[in-house]
Amino acid sequence: MWAEKYRPQVLDEIRDQVEIVERLKKFVKTKSMPHCLFAGPPGTGKTTASLCLARELFGERYMDAYMELNASDARGIDVIRTTVKDFARISTISQVPFKILVLDEADNMTADAQHALRRTMERYTETCRFILSCNYSGRVIEPIQSRCALFRFARLKDEDIQSHLAEIGVKEGVKFDAEGLKAIVTISEGDMRRAINTFQAAASTGKKVDEKAVFHVVGRAEPRDVAEMLLLCLGNKFTEARSKLRKMLIEYGISGQDILKQLHTEVFQIDLPEKRRIQIAEVLGEVDYRLAQGADEEVQLSALLAQIASKSAGEE
Amino acid sequence: MKILPASWTQRYRPRRLDEIAGNKDAIAALKDWLASWVATPPKRRAALLYGPAGTGKTVSAEAASRDLGFELVEMNASDKRTTASIERIVGIAAEQRSLTGRKRVILLDEVDGIDPVSDRGAVETIASAIERTNWPLVLTANDPWDPKLAPLRTLCLMIQFKRLGLRDSIPYLRKICTAENLEVEERALRFVAERNSGDMRSMINDLQTLSAGRSKLTYDDVLWLGWRDRKESIFQVLGSIFNAKTCAWARKAADLVDIDPEMLFEWIYENAPAQFSDPKDREIAFEALAKADLYLTRMRKTQNWSLLSYALDFMTAGVAMARERTKPSWVKMSFPERIKLKGKMKRESGLKVEIGRKISLRCHISKAGAIQYFIPYLKQIFKNNRGEAERISRWLDLDEGMVKYLSGRRSEQVRDVAPSGVEFTEP
Repeated sequence: MWAEKYRPQVLDEIRDQVEIVERLKKFVKTKSMPHCLFAGPPGTGKTTASLCLARELFGERYMDAYMELNASDARGIDVIRTTVKDFARISTISQVPFKILVLDEADNMTADAQHALRRTMERYTETCRFILSCNYSGRVIEPIQSRCALFRFARLKDEDIQSHLAEIGVKEGVKFDAEGLKAIVTISEGDMRRAINTFQAAASTGKKVDEKAVFHVVGRAEPRDVAEMLLLCLGNKFTEARSKLRKMLIEYGISGQDILKQLHTEVFQIDLPEKRRIQIAEVLGEVDYRLAQGADEEVQLSALLAQIASKSAGEE
Repeated sequence: MKILPASWTQRYRPRRLDEIAGNKDAIAALKDWLASWVATPPKRRAALLYGPAGTGKTVSAEAASRDLGFELVEMNASDKRTTASIERIVGIAAEQRSLTGRKRVILLDEVDGIDPVSDRGAVETIASAIERTNWPLVLTANDPWDPKLAPLRTLCLMIQFKRLGLRDSIPYLRKICTAENLEVEERALRFVAERNSGDMRSMINDLQTLSAGRSKLTYDDVLWLGWRDRKESIFQVLGSIFNAKTCAWARKAADLVDIDPEMLFEWIYENAPAQFSDPKDREIAFEALAKADLYLTRMRKTQNWSLLSYALDFMTAGVAMARERTKPSWVKMSFPERIKLKGKMKRESGLKVEIGRKISLRCHISKAGAIQYFIPYLKQIFKNNRGEAERISRWLDLDEGMVKYLSGRRSEQVRDVAPSGVEFTEP
């Protein structure tokens, strides 16, 4: 995958995030660092920054002193605790007196698990530095935030993404034009990984990557079915709307909550009487709550569709 | 004004022997035996009426004693069997004369319902009552060859009641229809009679259930009862749920099919859109289904099974009551497609997680992240470019099943489990 192949290897290669890179370089120089909290949207370089930092601190055999752990993959705080214990216990022979443990998606941990994590961080603070990465720092409990240096990763600038894509394109010998890259950049919304993946998918056809090719790929990888489903149900084609819903949920594996989010956006964009929008928003909220209780996604969402259809039919 | 019993089986319960349909020989034998008591007690002091349910055993005993002017003392052996009540039978049987001065018949209903464990000695007590009785004892049983009844068989006059033939049952049903001002097609009546294989009680029950709120019954109206076969009758049950006029009727219809409630929910949910073409009706029906789903969710979550009742209310009555503007009509019913898809999804999501794990090993990302950020693009690449797909598979160390999934080529296994085009139509 190009996203991995063209991942920056040293801090200087990282696009954008200038201040972050500067601060990280200081850590390398002094061979010391605090616990860190990397916050920012996906694809902005959080993992890359930790990898580069580790490589520069520990040298080529950095993998001995560096470990990644995913909060969502590791089952429960106990697993994390044991892993941390085992990892931190064995010291390295490197000049750097600590190891780095990256805990990804830390904001997905429950508050209780985070408190447990805090204690673990304290216990091994001598031998192990934590880099917690998350999308929203607000979801990380205060005691942890206060123990970490906060780094905010911003969405990448369009021109940085575009130049990176162009470099990749040349190295891979891909035919592309500026419009094609621009389309990718717009769609990616500052997410480098998404941009590179889209580029690779578009290039895989073997044809020139132009605007059309990009939209073709994106249209399939990120189905715009929500809008279509909404139109079907406003046109009183309920059964078809439900089939579409079913397809999204089951075949594309999109979560009910995600569909709700998209519906929420759509409801304020499509042609509807203003009052209806807010009525539908209320129903959306109710359905969201029900889904959180564990109700069946398709059943609840199709009840929602039936309501939208009925409300708009009553308007005519 | 005389208040008629609500249930037809009670309302049209024969009072005299000549009103009873069928089993003429058995009835005659019973009558002769009972009549012989008027002079002196016969050798056989008890009669055992045996045969399948709904063939007229109890009703014959009742009518015979009424015809001959006996007083009937009835004891249901299956629900009031305590030592005391069985002792009472012996007591009553041993009495020389009744309070009223009339001769009496003691009816012991459903003796095969005696539990040999918890009612140990009951059969022996009854046997001793037979030996000592001064009054005719009538016993009934479905299965007289039950080993536990062996001591009674030798003491009793055995009278067999057979299943009612169409020749006997149809005229009787016809009489009821006339009394109820119900116009019924001959074919419909025949269907009801045949379906219940000689059980008059259930024939009458079916007739009453079917005719609720109608003055006319056609063959199509009764057809939904189906045979006692699960697959055929689910459509009929759905039809009667979707078209029910009252909550009770919708709720009852759900009881008529042997299917678990969650599966029933799937059937109703699948077919509801086609049933309600009016958007407003549909909205209400779907909200009812959503509520039913909520109750099912809570029930599973809290293990509080009593919530099932509310889920059933909403999925049956709630849906039925949504019909206000949509005219009822027969619409093709289909199998809950989602069940099949869900099975397929389960297999695929397992595969996805495995692919996600492979990606996470290589790309510094969680499994969930890999599924979200990589798999959609990988699918594109695998569809478009075989060479690239091969390189990536090698790099990620994907197995054949994973490659198949990503390239969109369905494995045979998946197709087998999800046969498409299986669609049931109502008969």
